[in-house]
Amino acid sequence: MPGMWRIGLSLGRMSDEALLSGLATGDPELVVAFVRRFQRNVFGVALAVLGDTQLAEDVAQQTFERAWRHAQVYDPRRGSVRGWLTAIAHNLAIDTARARRARPVDPEDLDAMLGVVTETPERRALADDDAERVRRAVAQLPEEQARALVMAGIYGMTAREVADSEHVPLGTAKTRIRTGTLKVRTLLESEEKR
Amino acid sequence: MSGMECERLRELDAELALGVLPARERAEAVAHLDRCPECRERVGRLTAVGDGLLALLPRAEPPVGFESRVVTALGAAPVPKRRRRYRLRLAAAGAAAAVACGFGGWTVATVVEGAPAATSQHTDGGLREAALVSAGHEVGRIYAHTGDGGWVYMSVDLGSHARGPVRCLLVHADGSTTPAGSFPLHDGYGYWGAPAGTDTAAVTGARLTAPDGTVLATAHFSE
Repeated sequence: MPGMWRIGLSLGRMSDEALLSGLATGDPELVVAFVRRFQRNVFGVALAVLGDTQLAEDVAQQTFERAWRHAQVYDPRRGSVRGWLTAIAHNLAIDTARARRARPVDPEDLDAMLGVVTETPERRALADDDAERVRRAVAQLPEEQARALVMAGIYGMTAREVADSEHVPLGTAKTRIRTGTLKVRTLLESEEKR
Repeated sequence: MSGMECERLRELDAELALGVLPARERAEAVAHLDRCPECRERVGRLTAVGDGLLALLPRAEPPVGFESRVVTALGAAPVPKRRRRYRLRLAAAGAAAAVACGFGGWTVATVVEGAPAATSQHTDGGLREAALVSAGHEVGRIYAHTGDGGWVYMSVDLGSHARGPVRCLLVHADGSTTPAGSFPLHDGYGYWGAPAGTDTAAVTGARLTAPDGTVLATAHFSE
């Protein structure tokens, strides 16, 4: 159909905010365009937290359902559509993990995740600056602080859970989470001022 | 425990910002933030760390069929063209209770679940909509997004005898028009989105015309 590519191109050029408004209309083409634009992002977050394709797919689907129900309360002043969806997916994934996780995060998964958030392979050289700044900052942390930050910030583990998993006192876990977070914030702000 | 001093909150600020504070401490901390702009500002800056971490997570391709499963779950699966209905699935704003905390970052709290109300006259700050009408019958829908840039989107079914391309004109209160562009029809059906090229908040309606200028359908946005 000769006209289809033009239509696809037009929808592809719509801003994220406009596409979110379109999602609320329930129009099939707009829903497909919205899902297509964000599904890899949403599924990636869910898979990272859960490590299980089936569970991640369920969470990703719930994320889109929730976004569809609540498109009207999205407020662009609070952040991007992508950030909003990421937060929804992350919260749902953590809820799911909490309901099912009998054991702490697998040590191998944690090590792999630390690699993901600290490595700067060449293929990411063109990635956006904000992400690279965070990556560099986390890479500068002492390992125990980076681990605590990833456990809390990505896997949603409480300080108590971090303490149990790392076999350290609760106070130590709290300090690691807080010191790691503050250091990354300081490094980010010092880079922003340059 | 009543209230929470700034010093106490400082011990918990990172856990709060990362969303891992246990419920009772969290409630206490949020209550403190409500009345302490300084702590609110500090926690707001820390939420950027958590948001930044999540932004580093690699994207991943969902299993085959995911897209169509989601579309079906949302009740938006395409229906045969000739039976196409312009189904509206606009959730009533009052039924939506996603709570974003006031200290920055996205925090989605418990939401009130419920089927979206099928309302055809919904308008909100970001989206206006109207029926496209031809000879007294609704033949489609047009949506005008009033955010940055301004977009219009429409879908229309003019019957299998109709031929495109269809030209879309946006109508202003003084009767003047702004051409938004044109799009093809397939078996009388077409859908299309494009930058409006004008302030969509000030647009009062739209007109679809055939290549020879014949008016095919009109729409009027409610105030």
